[in-house]
Amino acid sequence: MKKKNLAEGNNEVTGLWANVFKRLKKSKTSMFGLLIVIILLFTAVFAPLMAPHDPIVGQLALRHNEPSMEYIMGTDSQGRDVFSRILYGARISVEIGIISVGIALILGTAMGVVSGYYGGKVDTIVMRFVDIMLAFPTILLALAIVTILGPSLTNAMIAVGIVNIPRFARIVRSSVLSVKENEYIEAAISIGCTDFEIITRHILPNCLAPILVQSTLTIGTAILEAAGLSFLGLGAQPPISEWGSMLADARGYMRQAPWSVMYPGVAIMITVLGFNLLGDGLRDALDPRLKE
Amino acid sequence: MKNKYLVLVLVLALLATFAFTGCASKETEVTEPEVTEPVATEPEVPAEKVLIFARSGDSVSLDPSNATDGESFYVARSVLDTLVDYEVDNTNIIPALATSWGTINEEGTIWEFKLREGVKFHDGTDFNAEAVKFNFERWMFEDNAYRYPGENFEYWGYMFGGYPGIVKEVRVVDDYTVQIELFTPSAPFLSNLAMPSFAIMSPAAFEQYGADIFKNPVGTGPFQFVEWIKDDKIVLEKNENYWGEGPLLDKLIFRTIPDNSARLLELQAGTIDMMIGLSPDDAQIVADDPNLDLYLRPSMNVGYLAMNELKAPFDDVRVRQALNYAVDKQSIIDAFYAGLAEPAKNPLPPSLWGYNDNVEAYEYNPEKAKELLAEAGFPDGFETTLWAMPVARPYMPQPKEIATALQQQFAAVGVQAEIVTMDWATYLEKGQNGEHDTYLLGWTGDNGDPDNFIYVLLDQDNANIGSAGNVAFYKNQEVHDLLIAAQIESDQEKRAELYEKAQLIIHNDAPWVPLVHSTPPIAARTAVKNYVPHPTGGESTFWQVDIEN
Repeated sequence: MKKKNLAEGNNEVTGLWANVFKRLKKSKTSMFGLLIVIILLFTAVFAPLMAPHDPIVGQLALRHNEPSMEYIMGTDSQGRDVFSRILYGARISVEIGIISVGIALILGTAMGVVSGYYGGKVDTIVMRFVDIMLAFPTILLALAIVTILGPSLTNAMIAVGIVNIPRFARIVRSSVLSVKENEYIEAAISIGCTDFEIITRHILPNCLAPILVQSTLTIGTAILEAAGLSFLGLGAQPPISEWGSMLADARGYMRQAPWSVMYPGVAIMITVLGFNLLGDGLRDALDPRLKE
Repeated sequence: MKNKYLVLVLVLALLATFAFTGCASKETEVTEPEVTEPVATEPEVPAEKVLIFARSGDSVSLDPSNATDGESFYVARSVLDTLVDYEVDNTNIIPALATSWGTINEEGTIWEFKLREGVKFHDGTDFNAEAVKFNFERWMFEDNAYRYPGENFEYWGYMFGGYPGIVKEVRVVDDYTVQIELFTPSAPFLSNLAMPSFAIMSPAAFEQYGADIFKNPVGTGPFQFVEWIKDDKIVLEKNENYWGEGPLLDKLIFRTIPDNSARLLELQAGTIDMMIGLSPDDAQIVADDPNLDLYLRPSMNVGYLAMNELKAPFDDVRVRQALNYAVDKQSIIDAFYAGLAEPAKNPLPPSLWGYNDNVEAYEYNPEKAKELLAEAGFPDGFETTLWAMPVARPYMPQPKEIATALQQQFAAVGVQAEIVTMDWATYLEKGQNGEHDTYLLGWTGDNGDPDNFIYVLLDQDNANIGSAGNVAFYKNQEVHDLLIAAQIESDQEKRAELYEKAQLIIHNDAPWVPLVHSTPPIAARTAVKNYVPHPTGGESTFWQVDIEN
């Protein structure tokens, strides 16, 4: 990339990221995704300031109030403000996204790097293990993990993190395999760099693009999977205002209080859509073949 | 016009069948004049009458002597018979497998039962005095050879105070006479025998199925067992040789549909015929639907929150009272029972004799609750767990919602409760093991006797880890003495007095937060006829239920 900039004789010193953002900006859908993600993050941070009511404590006397000025998304079966719960739910979703993807990212990248860099038997063992994990449908594997650990939001995050390890492991491994063949790696080896130095200084930075794309896309699915677990009663426990569990709780009242089912569903949908659009945009923007 | 075509089609179809059967046997015997006759009889062949009854949880066991939950009893009631039974809409005793009975000694400790003759079990073996003795001894003696691993016979223990408890011996006098001798006289004895847990199973079936008897019940009831697909359905079919009236149905299917609203949707769609566990919120929908009938089961239950006295801080009476003050029962009833319930202050429902109306309920008073907690050394409250059952119960149609509401009310006085839930069978088992801190449960009376509530749910005899009916593990010698005295006493007025005294002590010791006495709503398609909801909740009247196709 830098070489290219030099070759073009561009006066402006544009780094990799500025370049990526420039390309990202051209795609309206990815900007829309980015906007959603920014709104989500903003909501997550400022939920306590934005929420008009307490998300946990409701008044039973006010249950199933229709949307009004006071309760713009109505109230749920416990008389809690749906809007406030959705705002706080954004916090939980961001938390789920960061923690579970963090787990998948760290463990998956470690496995992928080790397997790609060392190759041979290590590669075979690690990759067959990943294959085994891939053989299970993700939600089923997550269910099994939560059943073992016990139902709670933390355990749901761990489970979702674990089931997403294989994706990262595979993607990182394939990038490592191609990066490894470059001459600068050979150079690094010849000047006596340790494996650790080579991996952290030279290989990982060059694998960043696919990892970033994968992370963004995985946040979307992770939120969806965690919401699924909560919906089944295995994730967030009451009274936590997690969108999936809000959906599950309100499902029984679909006729009396459709708003209490609709809004959490919409929130999940928009959030996942946002991350997916952004992820797709990033993939295009980071694809070296699409360089101008 | 349409009818003409129908007849024509039927005639052609019949001709075809005749032709084929004719071909198979003797061609020469194919004659034409008979053609019109079978057409006339065709519509008279009745379609199979199938009733599908849906509930929220599956049976735990089909051997009711080893079950404590209503879901198990619904099915057992139709497959198995007890020695005596209840009338269709109350708990008065009527003959069933026993035709007459009485005590034959002065102390009233020896009961003699004359048994119904000519009754056969579904496997074709005879019902007789030996079969009765066989079943009783299986329940009574812990070293009985037909007691399989894991079988506890909780109800026998609850009702008769242990193994063998108050029953000394069961004697066969002749083929159709059996004597049961007790150690002490027992007023509720006969009522107890009508409970589904003491139903008679075929001794031959134990030889055939062994430990699998719990999923292969063989009795004398109006329906016989066909198959059980776990968490899906239990299929029963008509017992052609039933000794009593009926049954009118050819098949009775119990389906498990966990979600209340999904169950109602299926009922409206006509894929099921009846449902229990209707959310009170939906009762109005059913009442307004011309295709559905709403039934209200007479209230004879209690829903409660038990506090485990084996665990701190619930060993402190001030903490238990504090939680009683912290709960706003009326708001819970308004929200989750649509008014089909009344707040509870005693373990007994007010419809039962012996109810102590002089007990003054703990009012909703969070301030008082905080004071008591501070006195007990918890000025900032404490953390605990609140166990909630996973299935809708008649006394608690939305346990998770109610748990969430309680959680909020407790939080208001500083008690942070984490809601814990698991599958139904495990929930009951862990409760009996005393693994909980606070535990939501309830009780539907089985026999219309106060003993069945207070002794089973709050006596120290039933606070044994592993088989506890008393999940608060409440132990009070004074209450125990009163309850035992009430069992021996035969005069109902004196018994009522003893129960009233016991309720007052229990109130002060506060082992529970008694929550509600509900009137459970039930919905059925209008095609379902003759259904009578029994106060005990053990659907025992399917023999008389009919369905119009």
